[in-house]
Amino acid sequence: MEIATRTHNDVTLVALVGSLDSNTSPQTQQALDGILSSGARKLVVDMTALDYISSAGLRVFLATVKRLGGTGAGGGALRLFGLNETVREVFDISGFSTILAVFATEADALKGFLTPP
Amino acid sequence: VHAGSPLGNAFQLTIEPDRAEVARANAAFTAFAEANAVPDAIRRSLNVALDELLQNTIAHGFAGRPAGGGGGGAVTIAVELLPDRLTVTLTDDGQPFNPLATAAPDTARPVEERPVGGLGVHLVRQLMDEVQYHRRGGRNVVVLVKRLTKV
Repeated sequence: MEIATRTHNDVTLVALVGSLDSNTSPQTQQALDGILSSGARKLVVDMTALDYISSAGLRVFLATVKRLGGTGAGGGALRLFGLNETVREVFDISGFSTILAVFATEADALKGFLTPP
Repeated sequence: VHAGSPLGNAFQLTIEPDRAEVARANAAFTAFAEANAVPDAIRRSLNVALDELLQNTIAHGFAGRPAGGGGGGAVTIAVELLPDRLTVTLTDDGQPFNPLATAAPDTARPVEERPVGGLGVHLVRQLMDEVQYHRRGGRNVVVLVKRLTKV
Protein backbone atom coordinates (compact mmCIF):
# COMPACT_ATOMS: atom_id res chain seq x y z
CA MET A 1 0.00 0.00 0.00
CA GLU A 2 1.24 3.45 -0.92
CA ILE A 3 -0.37 6.45 0.69
CA ALA A 4 0.13 9.85 -0.93
CA THR A 5 -1.09 12.99 0.81
CA ARG A 6 -1.55 16.56 -0.42
CA THR A 7 -3.58 19.52 0.75
CA HIS A 8 -5.98 21.74 -1.13
CA ASN A 9 -6.95 24.76 1.02
CA ASP A 10 -8.45 23.23 4.17
CA VAL A 11 -8.94 19.76 2.64
CA THR A 12 -6.40 16.94 2.93
CA LEU A 13 -6.44 14.57 -0.04
CA VAL A 14 -5.22 11.05 0.63
CA ALA A 15 -4.63 8.69 -2.31
CA LEU A 16 -4.58 4.96 -1.52
CA VAL A 17 -2.61 2.86 -4.00
CA GLY A 18 -2.82 -0.93 -3.62
CA SER A 19 -5.22 -3.00 -1.56
CA LEU A 20 -6.71 -2.27 1.85
CA ASP A 21 -6.85 -5.59 3.66
CA SER A 22 -5.73 -7.21 6.91
CA ASN A 23 -2.11 -6.79 5.88
CA THR A 24 -2.21 -3.09 4.97
CA SER A 25 -4.93 -1.76 7.29
CA PRO A 26 -2.67 -1.12 10.34
CA GLN A 27 -0.31 1.02 8.23
CA THR A 28 -3.26 2.87 6.66
CA GLN A 29 -4.91 3.46 10.02
CA GLN A 30 -1.64 4.87 11.36
CA ALA A 31 -1.32 7.22 8.38
CA LEU A 32 -4.89 8.51 8.73
CA ASP A 33 -4.50 8.88 12.51
CA GLY A 34 -1.36 10.92 11.89
CA ILE A 35 -3.21 13.22 9.49
CA LEU A 36 -6.02 13.78 12.02
CA SER A 37 -3.52 14.33 14.84
CA SER A 38 -1.93 17.11 12.81
CA GLY A 39 -5.27 18.95 12.90
CA ALA A 40 -6.89 18.03 9.59
CA ARG A 41 -10.69 17.97 9.84
CA LYS A 42 -11.69 17.53 6.20
CA LEU A 43 -10.45 14.41 4.46
CA VAL A 44 -11.01 13.33 0.87
CA VAL A 45 -9.79 9.83 0.07
CA ASP A 46 -8.90 9.06 -3.55
CA MET A 47 -9.82 5.40 -4.15
CA THR A 48 -9.14 5.33 -7.90
CA ALA A 49 -6.00 3.21 -7.43
CA LEU A 50 -7.43 1.07 -4.63
CA ASP A 51 -7.65 -2.48 -5.99
CA TYR A 52 -9.85 -4.08 -3.33
CA ILE A 53 -10.97 -3.64 0.28
CA SER A 54 -11.84 -6.26 2.90
CA SER A 55 -13.58 -5.88 6.27
CA ALA A 56 -10.26 -4.95 7.89
CA GLY A 57 -10.13 -1.96 5.52
CA LEU A 58 -13.73 -0.98 6.21
CA ARG A 59 -12.85 -0.79 9.91
CA VAL A 60 -10.19 1.82 9.10
CA PHE A 61 -12.82 4.09 7.55
CA LEU A 62 -15.24 3.46 10.40
CA ALA A 63 -12.61 4.41 13.00
CA THR A 64 -11.68 7.51 11.00
CA VAL A 65 -15.25 8.73 10.60
CA LYS A 66 -15.88 8.18 14.33
CA ARG A 67 -12.78 10.17 15.17
CA LEU A 68 -13.95 12.99 12.92
CA GLY A 69 -17.19 13.24 14.87
CA GLY A 70 -19.50 10.69 13.30
CA THR A 71 -21.74 10.86 10.29
CA GLY A 72 -24.33 13.30 11.63
CA ALA A 73 -24.80 16.96 10.74
CA GLY A 74 -21.67 18.06 12.63
CA GLY A 75 -19.55 15.30 11.11
CA GLY A 76 -19.33 13.97 7.60
CA ALA A 77 -15.87 15.37 7.18
CA LEU A 78 -14.68 12.24 5.35
CA ARG A 79 -15.41 11.98 1.65
CA LEU A 80 -14.39 9.23 -0.76
CA PHE A 81 -14.29 9.07 -4.52
CA GLY A 82 -13.26 6.81 -7.38
CA LEU A 83 -14.44 3.41 -6.10
CA ASN A 84 -14.04 0.54 -8.55
CA GLU A 85 -16.84 -1.98 -9.09
CA THR A 86 -15.62 -4.42 -6.41
CA VAL A 87 -14.93 -1.77 -3.78
CA ARG A 88 -18.38 -0.32 -4.48
CA GLU A 89 -19.93 -3.79 -4.10
CA VAL A 90 -18.20 -4.28 -0.73
CA PHE A 91 -19.46 -0.85 0.41
CA ASP A 92 -23.01 -1.70 -0.70
CA ILE A 93 -23.06 -5.18 0.91
CA SER A 94 -21.69 -3.89 4.22
CA GLY A 95 -23.97 -0.86 4.40
CA PHE A 96 -20.99 1.54 4.32
CA SER A 97 -22.41 3.27 1.23
CA THR A 98 -25.15 4.70 3.39
CA ILE A 99 -22.92 6.08 6.15
CA LEU A 100 -19.94 7.36 4.17
CA ALA A 101 -20.09 10.16 1.65
CA VAL A 102 -19.13 8.55 -1.66
CA PHE A 103 -18.57 10.59 -4.82
CA ALA A 104 -17.73 9.73 -8.42
CA THR A 105 -14.87 12.17 -9.01
CA GLU A 106 -12.45 14.39 -7.11
CA ALA A 107 -14.29 17.50 -8.36
CA ASP A 108 -17.59 16.13 -7.03
CA ALA A 109 -16.02 15.31 -3.67
CA LEU A 110 -14.51 18.79 -3.31
CA LYS A 111 -17.67 20.65 -4.35
CA GLY A 112 -19.15 22.45 -1.37
CA PHE A 113 -16.46 20.96 0.90
CA LEU A 114 -13.50 23.15 0.18
CA THR A 115 -13.35 26.50 1.96
CA PRO A 116 -12.13 29.15 -0.54
CA PRO A 117 -8.80 30.75 0.47
CA VAL B 1 0.51 -28.65 -11.20
CA HIS B 2 3.49 -27.47 -9.22
CA ALA B 3 2.88 -26.17 -5.73
CA GLY B 4 3.24 -22.43 -5.57
CA SER B 5 3.80 -22.09 -9.28
CA PRO B 6 1.07 -20.11 -11.04
CA LEU B 7 1.23 -22.01 -14.31
CA GLY B 8 -1.61 -23.43 -16.38
CA ASN B 9 -5.22 -23.44 -15.34
CA ALA B 10 -4.72 -24.62 -11.80
CA PHE B 11 -2.31 -23.92 -9.03
CA GLN B 12 -1.75 -24.75 -5.43
CA LEU B 13 0.05 -22.96 -2.64
CA THR B 14 0.61 -24.02 0.96
CA ILE B 15 1.20 -21.41 3.62
CA GLU B 16 1.95 -21.50 7.32
CA PRO B 17 -0.95 -20.42 9.53
CA ASP B 18 0.59 -17.02 10.11
CA ARG B 19 -1.03 -13.65 9.42
CA ALA B 20 1.94 -12.44 7.39
CA GLU B 21 1.40 -15.32 4.94
CA VAL B 22 -2.05 -14.08 3.88
CA ALA B 23 -0.59 -11.30 1.73
CA ARG B 24 1.70 -13.82 0.02
CA ALA B 25 -1.28 -16.07 -0.79
CA ASN B 26 -3.21 -13.14 -2.22
CA ALA B 27 -0.25 -11.99 -4.32
CA ALA B 28 0.17 -15.52 -5.74
CA PHE B 29 -3.55 -15.73 -6.51
CA THR B 30 -3.46 -12.34 -8.26
CA ALA B 31 -0.49 -13.45 -10.39
CA PHE B 32 -2.35 -16.62 -11.41
CA ALA B 33 -5.57 -14.70 -12.20
CA GLU B 34 -3.75 -12.08 -14.28
CA ALA B 35 -1.72 -14.72 -16.17
CA ASN B 36 -4.99 -16.47 -17.04
CA ALA B 37 -6.96 -13.33 -17.97
CA VAL B 38 -9.49 -13.71 -15.17
CA PRO B 39 -11.64 -10.53 -15.18
CA ASP B 40 -10.52 -8.02 -12.53
CA ALA B 41 -13.92 -7.94 -10.81
CA ILE B 42 -13.84 -11.73 -10.31
CA ARG B 43 -10.19 -11.70 -9.19
CA ARG B 44 -10.84 -8.88 -6.69
CA SER B 45 -13.85 -10.67 -5.17
CA LEU B 46 -11.62 -13.68 -4.52
CA ASN B 47 -8.88 -11.43 -3.08
CA VAL B 48 -11.42 -10.16 -0.54
CA ALA B 49 -12.66 -13.69 0.23
CA LEU B 50 -9.10 -14.99 0.71
CA ASP B 51 -8.23 -12.16 3.08
CA GLU B 52 -11.38 -12.75 5.16
CA LEU B 53 -11.24 -16.54 5.30
CA LEU B 54 -7.49 -16.99 5.76
CA GLN B 55 -7.46 -14.44 8.59
CA ASN B 56 -10.44 -16.21 10.20
CA THR B 57 -8.83 -19.61 9.92
CA ILE B 58 -5.53 -18.40 11.37
CA ALA B 59 -7.29 -16.60 14.24
CA HIS B 60 -9.74 -19.38 15.15
CA GLY B 61 -8.55 -22.69 13.72
CA PHE B 62 -4.97 -22.21 14.91
CA ALA B 63 -5.58 -20.20 18.09
CA GLY B 64 -2.97 -20.84 20.75
CA ARG B 65 -0.17 -21.68 18.34
CA PRO B 66 2.93 -19.50 18.58
CA ALA B 67 2.76 -16.25 16.62
CA GLY B 68 5.03 -15.96 13.61
CA GLY B 69 4.51 -19.56 12.50
CA GLY B 70 6.74 -22.40 13.52
CA GLY B 71 3.92 -23.99 15.50
CA GLY B 72 3.12 -26.51 12.84
CA GLY B 73 0.03 -26.63 10.71
CA ALA B 74 -0.61 -25.70 7.13
CA VAL B 75 -3.24 -24.03 4.99
CA THR B 76 -3.47 -25.06 1.35
CA ILE B 77 -5.03 -22.84 -1.31
CA ALA B 78 -5.97 -24.80 -4.45
CA VAL B 79 -7.25 -22.83 -7.43
CA GLU B 80 -8.94 -24.37 -10.46
CA LEU B 81 -9.99 -22.33 -13.47
CA LEU B 82 -12.60 -23.92 -15.74
CA PRO B 83 -14.31 -22.26 -18.71
CA ASP B 84 -17.44 -21.48 -16.68
CA ARG B 85 -16.13 -21.16 -13.12
CA LEU B 86 -13.25 -20.37 -10.83
CA THR B 87 -13.04 -22.60 -7.77
CA VAL B 88 -10.81 -21.94 -4.78
CA THR B 89 -10.52 -24.63 -2.11
CA LEU B 90 -8.97 -23.80 1.26
CA THR B 91 -7.88 -26.78 3.36
CA ASP B 92 -6.31 -26.59 6.81
CA ASP B 93 -5.42 -28.99 9.59
CA GLY B 94 -6.42 -26.67 12.43
CA GLN B 95 -9.20 -27.10 15.02
CA PRO B 96 -12.66 -27.76 13.58
CA PHE B 97 -13.86 -24.30 12.56
CA ASN B 98 -16.83 -23.53 10.35
CA PRO B 99 -16.58 -19.89 9.27
CA LEU B 100 -20.10 -20.05 7.85
CA ALA B 101 -21.53 -20.64 11.33
CA THR B 102 -20.79 -16.98 12.16
CA ALA B 103 -24.01 -15.01 12.53
CA ALA B 104 -24.77 -12.53 9.75
CA PRO B 105 -24.62 -8.88 10.85
CA ASP B 106 -27.87 -7.00 11.40
CA THR B 107 -27.61 -4.65 8.44
CA ALA B 108 -30.69 -2.75 9.62
CA ARG B 109 -28.69 -1.31 12.54
CA PRO B 110 -26.45 1.72 12.02
CA VAL B 111 -22.96 0.59 11.03
CA GLU B 112 -21.41 2.37 14.02
CA GLU B 113 -23.48 0.23 16.41
CA ARG B 114 -22.85 -3.13 14.79
CA PRO B 115 -20.29 -5.58 16.11
CA VAL B 116 -17.48 -5.95 13.59
CA GLY B 117 -17.39 -9.75 13.82
CA GLY B 118 -19.34 -11.50 11.12
CA LEU B 119 -18.95 -8.76 8.54
CA GLY B 120 -16.12 -10.53 6.72
CA VAL B 121 -18.06 -13.75 6.31
CA HIS B 122 -21.13 -11.79 5.22
CA LEU B 123 -19.01 -10.19 2.47
CA VAL B 124 -17.74 -13.61 1.37
CA ARG B 125 -21.26 -15.06 1.16
CA GLN B 126 -22.48 -12.11 -0.89
CA LEU B 127 -19.47 -11.86 -3.21
CA MET B 128 -19.26 -15.59 -4.04
CA ASP B 129 -21.76 -17.65 -6.03
CA GLU B 130 -21.24 -20.69 -3.78
CA VAL B 131 -19.55 -21.18 -0.41
CA GLN B 132 -19.36 -24.60 1.24
CA TYR B 133 -17.75 -25.90 4.41
CA HIS B 134 -16.88 -29.52 5.14
CA ARG B 135 -14.97 -31.18 7.97
CA ARG B 136 -13.25 -34.00 6.13
CA GLY B 137 -10.43 -36.33 7.17
CA GLY B 138 -9.51 -34.17 10.17
CA ARG B 139 -9.33 -31.05 8.02
CA ASN B 140 -11.41 -27.95 7.47
CA VAL B 141 -12.33 -27.56 3.81
CA VAL B 142 -13.90 -24.38 2.45
CA VAL B 143 -14.88 -24.29 -1.22
CA LEU B 144 -15.50 -20.97 -2.97
CA VAL B 145 -17.04 -20.81 -6.42
CA LYS B 146 -17.31 -17.79 -8.68
CA ARG B 147 -19.09 -18.34 -11.99
CA LEU B 148 -17.58 -16.87 -15.13
CA THR B 149 -19.85 -15.52 -17.81
CA LYS B 150 -18.66 -15.95 -21.35
CA VAL B 151 -17.99 -12.75 -23.22
